Amino acid sequence: MKDTADKTAFDVNHWLRQDQMPHFLCPGCGHGIALRALVWALHDLGIDKDKLAVVSGIGCSGRLSAYIDANTFHTTHGRPLTYATGLKLARPDLHVVVISGDGDALAIGGNHLIHACRRNLDITCLMLNNEIYGMTGGQVSPTTSEGRYTSTTPAGNTEPNFDACALATAAGAGFVGREVTMQVLALRDLIRQAVAHQGFSFVEVLSDCTEIYGRKNDLGASPEMMLAKKSAMRPFAYRNTVDVPFRANHLKTGVIARNERPEYGAAYRAMTAALRDGGAE
Amino acid sequence: MTATRRNLEGNEACALGAIRAGCRFFAGYPITPSSEVAEVMARELPKVGGTFIQMEDEIASMGAVIGASMGGVKAMTATSGPGFSLKQENLGYACGSEIPCVVVNVMRGGPSTGMPTRPAQGDIMQTRWGTHGDHAIIVLAPASVSEAYSETIRAVELSETLRVPVVVLLDEVIGHLTETVDLAAVPEAPEVWRKFAQGPADAFEPYAVTEDLVPPMAYPGDGYRAHCTGLTHAPGGFPTQVPAVAAAAVQRTTDKLTLHRDRIESWRVQDVDDADLLICAIGISARAARQAVRDLRAEGVKVGLFRPVTLWPFPEDALRALVAKSGTQTVLVPEMNQGQLALEVERVLAGQARVQGLFKIDGQAITPDEIAEAAKEALA
Amino acid sequence: MVSMEIRFSGSGGQGLLLSARILAAALTAQGRNVAQSNAYEPVSRGGLSRSDLVISDGEADFPLARRLDYMLVLDEAAAGASVPLLTPQSLVLCDAERVQTVPQGAFRTLSLPFTETARGLGNPRVTNIVALGALSALGQVCAPEPLLDSVLAMTPSKLARLNRDAFAAGLQMGETEPA
Repeated sequence: MKDTADKTAFDVNHWLRQDQMPHFLCPGCGHGIALRALVWALHDLGIDKDKLAVVSGIGCSGRLSAYIDANTFHTTHGRPLTYATGLKLARPDLHVVVISGDGDALAIGGNHLIHACRRNLDITCLMLNNEIYGMTGGQVSPTTSEGRYTSTTPAGNTEPNFDACALATAAGAGFVGREVTMQVLALRDLIRQAVAHQGFSFVEVLSDCTEIYGRKNDLGASPEMMLAKKSAMRPFAYRNTVDVPFRANHLKTGVIARNERPEYGAAYRAMTAALRDGGAE
Repeated sequence: MTATRRNLEGNEACALGAIRAGCRFFAGYPITPSSEVAEVMARELPKVGGTFIQMEDEIASMGAVIGASMGGVKAMTATSGPGFSLKQENLGYACGSEIPCVVVNVMRGGPSTGMPTRPAQGDIMQTRWGTHGDHAIIVLAPASVSEAYSETIRAVELSETLRVPVVVLLDEVIGHLTETVDLAAVPEAPEVWRKFAQGPADAFEPYAVTEDLVPPMAYPGDGYRAHCTGLTHAPGGFPTQVPAVAAAAVQRTTDKLTLHRDRIESWRVQDVDDADLLICAIGISARAARQAVRDLRAEGVKVGLFRPVTLWPFPEDALRALVAKSGTQTVLVPEMNQGQLALEVERVLAGQARVQGLFKIDGQAITPDEIAEAAKEALA
Repeated sequence: MVSMEIRFSGSGGQGLLLSARILAAALTAQGRNVAQSNAYEPVSRGGLSRSDLVISDGEADFPLARRLDYMLVLDEAAAGASVPLLTPQSLVLCDAERVQTVPQGAFRTLSLPFTETARGLGNPRVTNIVALGALSALGQVCAPEPLLDSVLAMTPSKLARLNRDAFAAGLQMGETEPA
C-alpha cells in the first residue's frame, strides 16, 4: 500500500452507514472527529471497503465500528486486539483496524495491547483516550489525570496515569503516534501513516468527553476542552525549538516511534513454509 | 491390518480430527492436561497451510479463534478447567453471535488449580451453563481415543453447519490415553462448510430467519460488509432493545438446536433391552461401566449401559424411551464429581425411575469393580 | 476382550513411558489393540512414574490396568504401590540394584541386574531396553524380533548399536533364568 493521498474527493458519507445515523455520541464528543479522520485516511490510501475489517471493543469507542460501511466486528470488552489477531492471521488479505478506548486497551485489555505491540502483526490500533469510562457513567480510567474527579474518585484521582505511547513503544510496536482531535488534518495524516505501516501500529487519539468528564471537572464545553488539550501538547516536531514543555508530563504529538522489524504474519508464513510440502499426518 | 492403524493419544486424536475436518486455525495457551492438542497443531497446521498461534492468555486464544472464524476459516482451541473458566465470556460471544468454533476441554481436578494431572468430570454443568445468559451450545463427550478423533470431526461439522460453538469434553484419562485407532474407520466424506452468504448484498441480513434457523454467514471480502456484535441484535445485525425483536433473536438460537436435535444427539447402548438396572455415564466412567456390564452379565445380573456421546443437548427422549421399554426401576450414574450428570438424569427421568449416584472426587478413575458393587447394592 | 496387562514402573527419567510405547507399537503392528496410560508426578526427573499397557483384541472395555500379568519395577519408589493389582499368575521383574524392597505376596518375583548390565554396556540409560529384552524372553508378551525392530524404529539411529546390545543382553538374561 502506498502512502499517497488519493486525489479523488473525500466523501465521508461514502464510508458511513447512513441507516445507522444519527449516531449515539454526545454533542461535543471527540470520537466523531476521530471517526472522520480514520475514514478520511482510509480514503486517501485508496482502501477498498470490502477488504476493510474494523474490530472494536466495548465502551463509547466500541460503538464506532457500527457506523463504518465495512466488515465490522463489535467484540468483547478489552479483547478487540485478540479477535483482530485471529482475523488478520486467517485473512492476511484484509486491512484490519482496531478501535479501542483507554479502559478497553489499557485496563481490561492491557495484556493484549503489549503482546500485540511485541508480536508486530500488521494491524492498526486506534486508542481513543478520553480519560474516562464514559458509557458506564464516568468512572476513573488508567489515563485519568491525577487530581481529576470521577464517579469512583469522589475526592480526586490519586493514581498516576499511563503514557500509552511510551508503553506501546517499549513493548515494540512498529509505529507509534499521538494526536489531538482539534488537529483533524494532522490526525488524518498520522492515521494514514499508521495504516500504511507494515506491522503493528498504535495511534493514541486524545479525545474528549465533554458530557461527563468535562462537567465533573469543570473543564468547559467542547471547544474549551479541545483547545486546552491542544495547548497542552508539544508537537514532536518542536523538539528542538521549544525549550520548555507545554505540560509537565511532556506528552508529545505526531509520530512518537518507528521500529522497523519483520511483520509477524509474514514471518510466520516464511518460517513455516518449509513444513508445508510434507503434508499433514 | 491397515497402515492407518496407529497408536494415538486422545489429545493428539482431537488435533488430527480437527485438521481432517478442515480446521486451519488454532490459538491456544499452555495448560495441563490439554497442551498436547496445541503442540500437535503447532506441528501439523503449517503443513496444510494453516496457522497456529500461542496467545498471551486463555482469553486471547478464544478471541483469536472467534476472529479467525469470522474471517471464514475453521478454528479451534483447547484448554482445561481454569482456562475454560477464562474463556467463558468470549465463548458467550460466539454463542450469541453464532460464530462457528470448537473448544476442546480436557477435564482435570478442580476447583481452581485443583489437581492438574489427575482426571475429573467436574465441568459437565460448566460446559452447558458456563457463560452468562440464555444460550445454545453443543457438547460432545468422547469415551475413547477413536471417538476423540471422530467426535472432533463431528464437532467441526456441527459447529459449521449450525453456526454454534461446540465443546469436545474429555476427561484427563481419555485426553492422555493412548489407544490403537484406525483413522480410516471414519469414511472419507466431502468437507463440510457453513452456508456462506450469496446473492445481492443490499438484501443481505446477517441474522435473517431462514427455514432451518441457521443464517448464512458473510465472508469478509465478498461485498456484504456485515456488522457483528455481542449486543442483542436484530436480523440486520445491529443492536436492538425492541422487546419482541430481542426475545426472538435469543429464542432463535436455542430453537435452532431443538430443530436439529436428531442430527446433534448421539448415544450408545449396551445390553439395555432387559436391564433391571441401567447405568448412565460418560468418558472414562463409561468405559468402566462397559466392563462392569460385561462382568455383571457374566454373573447373570441384568444391567445395561446408556452412554450419551452428545452430552448437551442431553439425549433425553432416548433415555426416557429406553427406561420405559426395559422397565428398569433404577438408573446408576457413576461420575467423577459430586453429582452433575445425575442432576440431569434426575430431571429427565423425574418420576420414571430412581436415580442413584456413584460419585468420586479423589483424582482416581472409577473402576469397573466399584460400579459392579454399586449396581449390586442398588439391585439388592 | 482384554488378554494381557503390563506395568512399567520406576522413577521419572528411566525411560518407562518409552519402553511401553515401544512394546505397544510392536503389538499394534501384529494386529493387537493397545491402551497405554501413564501416571507421573509433576517433575521430569525422579518421583514415581509408571506406564500401563492393556492389550486386547478390539478396543478394550476398560483401558486401565486391573490385574497385572507382568510388572517391571526399576526403582524402589515403585516397589510397593502396585501390589493390590497382582495375582498368583503375575510375574514381577525387579531391578536388582535399585529395588531393595522386593514386593512380597502370592506372585512370582525375579530380581535381575538390569542397571548393572546397562552400565556394563557403557550407558545406564539403556536399562529400560535391557529390561524389555528380559521381558520378551520371560513372558508370553512379544517375540524378540518384532520387539527389537520396534526398539530400533523408535530410538535415535546413533544409539542403534547400543540398544541392540542392550536388548540382546536382556534377552540372554531372561533365557538363562530358570523358569
